[in-house]
Amino acid sequence: MSNVSMSAISYTPNIISSQLLQDLNLDQNQQATIEAQLGSGDVVNAPSDNPAAAASIMQLNSGLSRAKQYVTNANDGVGWLSLGTSTLNSVISTLQSAQQAVSALSGEALSSQQAAVTGTTAQLKSTLQQVLALANTTYGGQAIFAGTGNVNQAYDSSGNYVGGGAAPARTVAPGVSVQVSLTGPQVFGSGSTGLLGSSGVLQQLITDVSAGTTTSLQKATTTDLSALSDALQSVTGQAAVMGANYQRMTGFANQATSAQTALQTQISSEDSVNLAQASTQLTQDQQTYQAGLWATSQIEEHSLVNYL
Amino acid sequence: MSNISLSIASSGIDAAQTAMDTIAQNLSNANTPGYVSETPDLVTYNGGGVLHDGAGVGVRGISQAGDSLLTNSANQAAGNLSQSSALQQVLSQAQLAFQEPSATGLSSDLNSFWQSWDTIASNPTSQAGRSQVIDNAQNLVADLQQAHAQLQTTATAAVNQLDSTVQSTNGLLAKVANLNGQITATQATGSSANALIDQRNAAMTQLAESIGAVGAPQSDGSMQVTVGGITLVQGNWSDSISVQNSSGTYSIQAATSQATLTNSAGTTAGLVGALNSYLPSYQSQLDTVANNLENVVNSQLAAGYTATGAAGTALFTGSGAGGIGLNQAIVNDPTQLAAASTSTLPDASNDGSNAQTMANLFDAPNGPDAVYQTLILNVGNQVSNMQNQVTAQTSVSNAANQNLQSIAGVNQNDQLVALMNWQQDYQASAKVISSVNEAVQSLIANV
Repeated sequence: MSNVSMSAISYTPNIISSQLLQDLNLDQNQQATIEAQLGSGDVVNAPSDNPAAAASIMQLNSGLSRAKQYVTNANDGVGWLSLGTSTLNSVISTLQSAQQAVSALSGEALSSQQAAVTGTTAQLKSTLQQVLALANTTYGGQAIFAGTGNVNQAYDSSGNYVGGGAAPARTVAPGVSVQVSLTGPQVFGSGSTGLLGSSGVLQQLITDVSAGTTTSLQKATTTDLSALSDALQSVTGQAAVMGANYQRMTGFANQATSAQTALQTQISSEDSVNLAQASTQLTQDQQTYQAGLWATSQIEEHSLVNYL
Repeated sequence: MSNISLSIASSGIDAAQTAMDTIAQNLSNANTPGYVSETPDLVTYNGGGVLHDGAGVGVRGISQAGDSLLTNSANQAAGNLSQSSALQQVLSQAQLAFQEPSATGLSSDLNSFWQSWDTIASNPTSQAGRSQVIDNAQNLVADLQQAHAQLQTTATAAVNQLDSTVQSTNGLLAKVANLNGQITATQATGSSANALIDQRNAAMTQLAESIGAVGAPQSDGSMQVTVGGITLVQGNWSDSISVQNSSGTYSIQAATSQATLTNSAGTTAGLVGALNSYLPSYQSQLDTVANNLENVVNSQLAAGYTATGAAGTALFTGSGAGGIGLNQAIVNDPTQLAAASTSTLPDASNDGSNAQTMANLFDAPNGPDAVYQTLILNVGNQVSNMQNQVTAQTSVSNAANQNLQSIAGVNQNDQLVALMNWQQDYQASAKVISSVNEAVQSLIANV
């Protein structure tokens, strides 16, 4: 009953009833607004409810969907990098056993050398197969060491690199993109210093060890062994790079998740109905409305007509 | 002597009877629109003779408690309120074109669209990511076209309302002219034209609401009706008005003078305002959003290469929110989306760097998202301002009506008290007649 002003006008029953109706309508509108808010759970249900908040909610939602995407991207990257790191660890341990087997050859007595040569050759061949298989590791159907050049495999069965381009990367924060893998040549080298291929270190070792002559075994335990150890060092170095990227990626995944939470909190503080407040307000409005109805029934009853 | 007493008493009975008739008229018309409370104009009759002891009471006429200043200000307030209400209704209707903020509006579909480019970037060879981009692009096109259609529907509804308002206004103008003629003729014979004036008052209020018409009472009892200085009713002559549409700009024109009504009040003014400035502005801002989306996406695609290494082609075609569409070749074969930034094969089929650059455009300054947010802010502000204006003008109009009602309205309690007074007057005059009668009777009996 906010509109009743004490002006000097003479109140006819028409004025009073129109004022009462106006006030009752106002009360009803307020109730409808609160009911819409409670029904939808949102304070802003149309741009005109609060234009600035509507624009800000849209902006926050856009930021939120971006943050969610960063979380997805970072989690995908974490998957790639953890697979890559464990693959490289397997490569390293495989190469380390090969290294030990070849070093052992130099101390072998001549009598048992033939058996050792056969055994070591077999181990080296299987090492080559294992490394080749590891180099073709896939994540979700994509060969992780193939760069952008090939989807299915990084190396063919003869150990030739069939990938190409740079290693894939994931965008994890505005303007920040982290590589989720490495290319084959970065990890396994190439040509005569590379691990794989017909002229690679492992193939060279197999050739020299299996030849079994004193000269070839001499070469295998010196030149070839040191080439293997260089290659192993390079793989270890790249594993460290990948490990560092894994750490960064995990960091970004956490950061994006907390950004997502913060944005969600902000959106709900802008747009979510404070249930306690809204229902209290609704109760108050209902009481005002009932009081208004009561007043209307009282005032409209009182006319001189009733007493004549 | 006594015959004069009888005639004085009988004039009192007549006056009381007329007054009670007036009260009955007032009470029965308490809720009639345009009705103005009436009171009898009483006058004392001077008696002749030496003592000038009076000749009773007479009814000179029945006057109305009207106040032309209050009537005009109430009508003006009603005209302003009608204008704002009409505009507010159209704008609220237009606002429905933008379902924001929500999880289904254009804004959220834009978010999904940019996100789906990330999916391509993560796995360029997967068909799923590419189909997702096409699906989301189709959603965007549907959103834009729906918003465009909703704005057009709103405009069509406003034009229809404008036409029907103008039609009913022409009826009212003719009615006022007709009443003018009858009132002038009735008053010339000295009779009361109050009932006709009440009808004209009601018509004037409706005219103020529809075209913001202003009335000026003339000496012959007629009412001159003008809008922005252009006379539409003069005496018993009335003009008619019509809606003019010159390539999308609407105006109201008077038939005889061919002059455009520059009215700034009434339903028609609100509708013309909505049709000439608000709706075209929303439509053009929405077109900007569509064209901007098209430019941003297409130029980024042009910088990239398809999965087969061919130069990227446009995804969006057409122009404006109503005309935007998708390149069917890409819809049929999503590998033609230029996700790669290299044309070398096989890299192109497995490179998602251009898709990633595309995904990063979600917050491009002056990009479609930013332009759309500005549009929503504009629409929201204008609708909310208009709602506030309607609330304020409703109060103004109610106050003006109450002021008018307090003068011209019928207060039942007052009328009932007056009724009792006149009843007593009537009884008193009747008592005088019976007393005089008794006196004369006793005189006759004694003679």
